[in-house]
This record gives sequence, C-alpha cells and structure tokens, in this order.
Amino acid sequence: MTAPAGIALSGLCKTFASHGQKVEALRDVSLNCPAGSFTALIGPSGCGKSTILRAALGLEPLDSGRVEIGGQAPQAATRAGVTGVAFQDAALLPWRTVAQNIALPLEVLGRAVGPEQGRIRDLIALVGLQGRETALPGELSGGMRQRVAIARALVSAPQVLFLDEPFGALDQILRRQMNIELQRIWAETGVTTLLVTHGIDEAVFLADRVAIMQAGPGRIVEVVEIPFARPRAASLFSDPEFHHQCDHIAGVLHGG
Amino acid sequence: MAARLRAFFPYLIALILWEVAGQLDLVASGALPAPSEIWARFWLDRADYPRHVWATLQASGAGFVLGNAIAVLAGLLFVLLPATARVARGLNIAIFALPPIAIAPILALTLEGMTPRIVLAALGVYFVTMQATVTGLSQFDSRTADLVRAYGGTRASVLRFVQLRGALPAILSGFRVAAPNAVLGAILAEFGGGGRWGLGAYLLGSLGRGEPARLWGIGLTATLIAGLSYAVFAAISARVMGASRAVTLNPAAAPSATGAPGGLWLGLASLILPFLVWWGFLVALRVPDMLGKTPWDVFHYLFLADGAAQAQGRLLAALAETLPITGLGLAAGLSVAFALSVSSHLSPGFTRAFLPFALVTQTMPLVALTPLLVLILGRGTAVTLWITISVTFFPAYVMITQGLAQVPRAALELPRAYGASPWRELRLVAIPASVPWVFAAIRTTVPRALLGVMIAEWLATGRGLGNLLNQSRGYMDFSMIWTVAVVSVLLSVGFYQMAQGVERMVLRRMGGA
Ligand SMILES: Nc1ncnc2c1ncn2[C@@H]1O[C@H](COP(=O)(O)OP(=O)(O)OP(=O)(O)O)[C@@H](O)[C@H]1O
Ligand SMILES: [Mg+2]
Repeated sequence: MTAPAGIALSGLCKTFASHGQKVEALRDVSLNCPAGSFTALIGPSGCGKSTILRAALGLEPLDSGRVEIGGQAPQAATRAGVTGVAFQDAALLPWRTVAQNIALPLEVLGRAVGPEQGRIRDLIALVGLQGRETALPGELSGGMRQRVAIARALVSAPQVLFLDEPFGALDQILRRQMNIELQRIWAETGVTTLLVTHGIDEAVFLADRVAIMQAGPGRIVEVVEIPFARPRAASLFSDPEFHHQCDHIAGVLHGG
Repeated sequence: MAARLRAFFPYLIALILWEVAGQLDLVASGALPAPSEIWARFWLDRADYPRHVWATLQASGAGFVLGNAIAVLAGLLFVLLPATARVARGLNIAIFALPPIAIAPILALTLEGMTPRIVLAALGVYFVTMQATVTGLSQFDSRTADLVRAYGGTRASVLRFVQLRGALPAILSGFRVAAPNAVLGAILAEFGGGGRWGLGAYLLGSLGRGEPARLWGIGLTATLIAGLSYAVFAAISARVMGASRAVTLNPAAAPSATGAPGGLWLGLASLILPFLVWWGFLVALRVPDMLGKTPWDVFHYLFLADGAAQAQGRLLAALAETLPITGLGLAAGLSVAFALSVSSHLSPGFTRAFLPFALVTQTMPLVALTPLLVLILGRGTAVTLWITISVTFFPAYVMITQGLAQVPRAALELPRAYGASPWRELRLVAIPASVPWVFAAIRTTVPRALLGVMIAEWLATGRGLGNLLNQSRGYMDFSMIWTVAVVSVLLSVGFYQMAQGVERMVLRRMGGA
C-alpha cells in the first residue's frame, strides 16, 4: 500500500435552495486531517455532517471552498481508488447479493473481482455475516445492511475512509465490537479516517481529534484533541478521564 | 387443493351462465352464441386456423421484436441525451397517437407483403416500451448512484451498475403491455390491409356471413394469443420485481414526462420533426401523388382548395360529435382503472379473480369485438362508451397498480405499524406515492380514448370522425383520409399536452417536481 493520504478542507460554503427556501448548510468549514489520522465529526442532526462528507468526495458542488485528498482534487482521488465510503443509508443495490454488493467498488474502479474473493470473504466474516454471502439486501435486517456497507467501504483497500454514521443501526454490544475492529483496521492499514457519528463515547474512543459542529449555519465550533494512548482497550469506556472528555464535548454540543 | 378448486369457481359459474344464455338465445336474439356452439364451429373450421394463426404470429412477433428494440434504444438515447428527447417529443407523441385504423390502408398501399403488418405491430409497441424504458432509467436510487460516483464512477458506470438493471422491471412491464398491442396491431393491419392469411383477414372474410359463432371463435383465438403473450411477460416481470424492490424509500426521481419543454429551438424542432418524417416517408417510398398527401397538400385541401369550406364543415361537424364522447369515455375509463387498482391493492384475491376477465376484454381485437357489441348494445352512445372504457382502463390499471406496488415496503409498513387500517394506509402512503403514475396513466390513455371512440364510430355508430374516415375510404377521397388522420393525431397531441400541463401543476403543488 502506498503512503496514506490526508484530507484538507478549507473554507467550504454551501447553501441549499429548494422550494423558495434557503438553507445555509455549511459556512466557512475548514478541517485538516493529517495522513493516517482518525477524526470524528459530531454535531446535532441536520448541521451539515453528511454534506461535508459528500463535498469531500466531490459529490456536492460547493459555493466556495477547496477540497484536497492526498493533494488531489476529490474527483481525481476517487477515480484513483484512494477513497472508501459508507453512507448514512446502506444504499445497497437490491438485486445484488451481499458478496456482489461488497464487490461493487472494485467493479466501478475497473479492478478484477476474481483475485479479491478471499478478501471479500474475510470482510464478510469481519462484519459477522458469514453464511449470508448470497442473501439479497431485502432479506437482511437494517443493521446487517449497514454492516454490508461497512465491508464495502473497506473492499478497495482505501487510503482515506469516509464513514457516515456507520454503526447507527447496530446494537450497543455489536457497536462496541465494531468500534474495536475499526480501530484495529485503522491501526493496521494507517488509513486516514473521517467518521461522522452521533455517539460521543464512540467519537472519543476512536478518534485522535473530535470536530464539533453547530447548526444554523452549519459550522465547526471546536476541535478537541483526544490524548489517550493506542491501542485503546474496551476498559477505556469506564475510565473517569474518558468520561471527563465526553462531558466536555456534550457541553460544547449543548452550546455551553 | 380445495382452495385451488374454489378459485376456479367464478369462471365455472360464468361459463355455465354463458352456456345457458347462449343456448336460450337470451342476449340480443342469438348474438352471443353458447361456448359449446363456438367450440363446435371452431372444430369444423379447425383446418383453417393454423395458417391464419401462424401468419398473425409471424407479423406480431416480428413487429414486437423490432418495435421493442427500437424503443429500448430510443429510451436509452433520450435518457443519456435529454436534448434528443425534446427534439423527438413531437414525433413520439405523434407515433403514440397515430390511429392504426387510419394508417392501415395507407401502409397497405405503400408497403409490400408482410411489411404493413409488421410496421403496425411495431408502432403499437414502440411508445409503451420507450416510455417504460425512460421511466425505468430515470427512476433510480440516487444514493446508490452517489456511491458509484464516490468511487470515481462516470455517467456510464452509473448507467451500467445502477440504472440498466434497475430499469428492468419497468421495461418488462412495458413489454407486458406491449405484447398484446403487437398482436392487435397485426390483426388490425390484416383487417384493414387485405392479404389472404392472418386472423384479421379471416375475420374480414367471415364478417358478412352472419356467423356469430365463427366470429367469436376467431376473436377468442386472437384473445388467447394476446393474453398468453401478456402472461409470459407478467411472469418474468414478477420474478424480477421480487428481487429488486428497494428496501427504504428512494428519495429522488419520480417518473417525469418524456422530455421537459426545452428551449425555443428544441421545441420548434420537435414540432417540425413529425412533418419531416411524414414528408420523408412519402419521398423515400415514392408514393404516388394521388395516394400520398404531403403536409402542404393537406393544408391546401383544408384551407385553399375550391371545396375547402365544405371540407371544413364536414370536419367540424364530425369533431362536434366525437369530442364530447371522448371526454366522457376517458373519465369513465380512468375511474374504472383507479377503482380497480385500489381494490386490488386492498384485496389481492380480487385481482386474481378479476384480472383474467379484464385481460379478455383487453386483448379481444376491437374489430372483432365491435360487431358483436353492436348486436348486444345497439348502435348508440352505449357502444361507444363501452369500447372507450375497454381500451383505456387496462393500461391505466397496469400503470397505477405498478405505482402502488412500487411503494417501498418500509414506507408502506410505517402506517401499518401505527395500526392504520388498509384504507388509511392507502390514503397516507400509497396514493400520494403513486400520483406520478396516475398522471402518467392519464397522459397515455388520452390518445387511446380518442382511438376507441373513432373505432366505435367507424364500425358501429356511423358518426363523427371515425365515420368520416370510413366514408372517405369508400369514396377513395385520399385527401380527407389524410386530413382525418392528421387532425386526430393533432387532437391526441393536444390532449396529451393538456394532461401534462395539469400534471406539472399538481406535482409542483405537491412539492414533488
Ligand atoms: N439535497 C438537498 N437539498 C436541500 N437541502 C439539503 C439537501 N441536502 C441537505 N440539505 C440540508 O442541509 C442541511 C444539512 O444536511 P446534512 O444531511 O448534511 O445533515 P447531517 O448533519 O448529516 O444530519 P444527520 O445527522 O441527521 O444525518 C439540512 O438542513 C438539510 O435539510
Ligand atoms: Mg447525515
């Protein structure tokens, strides 16, 4: 794998206009994620988190601002297979099986799927879906679909990973397990990760830095450095210092 | 097993009632022969059938393949290059609104052998499939398209991975409606175009003989062919639909009308193209001046020639008779379609019992049905209304039902989760979600309504535009034939545009478009 790439967002502005109403989704959002870092993005619903992600992938035309992924424009980076993404909705193709859905990014990137079968099998096992390889999305639960989307985000061995609420539909225990798995994958691959989440504890557990957003207009109000040593064990969740960090972030979120 | 048997009960009862009514000559003194009499006649004629059936199958099969191939390619082109959709818009609507009964003789005079039949069958197929293709391709899940683009996917990759496969159910449901159309088109061409073999030709030869049993035999054979072709594609599309229904509500894209009104130039091109094609057709095939009338010829005939005032008078008188009944028939047909879709959504068992009957009325070729209906209903308004309803309700029913069926499971189950009754559920989710399809149904049935009225007028009531066409055929008044064909197309296009205008207004008010 080549050296991991970083994410640089500077001065993003975006206003949606629909039905004669204007929504200022992003105002002057800047965020720098160094190569190999783990950044969590947290904020109230509708504050523009998904919009940032979509803009970073070049899917949302911006009013102004610049996006660079590993020094490249987002379109170039995505086309080169630098990025992996799991959207807020699983967005699976309903006619493809679990394994085929996971293989989709490879096909879009024009890579051969055959040699990656082993890797796809490993990813299915990683997200706990062994035995459901040939199931169609309609036959899966919401949480299972989300896990397929996580596996799909990892299949192309990306250097930059965008995750939008990837564990939202999972139960607390599975969520913890997936958090630890994600930390392991991140540590092993050094993939630069931007994780959107509503879970304060999840953000603190996983991230090097937590960027806190406020709505109306959507903006980043504070970036908190998380100092805990790696690798972080599950016992961290009951550490007093951990709770102290969480309380601080909750305070900022509540406008404190 | 017992349940299976019970499912056949309604048909058995219907058959027995039919037999009794036929044996006792209860309906219009013998116009409705008993099934056993029809079967006996069919058995006597059995040596005639294979060649006729084979000829019809060949023409409709070739037309079906040709028309669908062109339609799917055209649909692809229109979605990939929206400008082409705008330019071809006028031509598309004109093809859709073309009254087959009016152009069958023209095609028979200008083309040779099987070609007129194949062309008419293909024309009957084209619009349905083209529109289904466009709808299917534009109706994809925007989130999955985003995903493909998030991996650097181009327009072509979105088409390949998301749109093509996603459009399959819509295209197949287009084929399903188109299949009987191909059979009907071929039979109509056989009927109106001469030739020795084919069910239409057989029908024409048997019409004067006062043999209701044979007419019914031919009609039912045609119905069977058309019905089977529908059933095959219904089965295929049911299989495909099962796998590809989205799991959550697709937030983007509702089927839009083919090609929004574009810039002035595109609009102008769209207006001119049908006339260019018309004129090009005459030139390319070297149609003699006497037979083939150019756009200018028709204009001259109607406004400048010596008898222009008289021609106009006849045309206006015919229109005054045709238009009101068309509006009435259309409203009735759509109401029937909507009521049926809703009731089949509420109780699927009802659909299973009802659909075969609906299919019979749908696939029975009108040219065969009308003489029989005249015997039963007389030559008044009732027969026109009946025919108009029967040509409009089925495509509308298929479309609206498809709209209701495509409401994603999660959205449908939400009100149910709050204990909503089926009716309330329908009102809260299914009806709003299917509004785009209801309007698509209105748009597509408007020209059919006019066609139904004209066929009834031609074959039954002897009034209005259809009768004018028939008379002109008798007098070899080719100018008037062309004029009626053009006016009926222009009317259909006008109605279509009106329906679309209302559609846009309502969708905007709903916050959809
Ligand atoms: N395509 C769009 N058209 C109009 N408005 C939009 C569009 N996409 C997003 N918005 C608006 O932009 C704002 C930010 O949306 P976004 O999806 O980024 O929020 P979010 O932070 O991801 O929220 P959540 O946590 O609920 O997912 C919202 O007010 C939303 O209504
Ligand atoms: Mg979001």
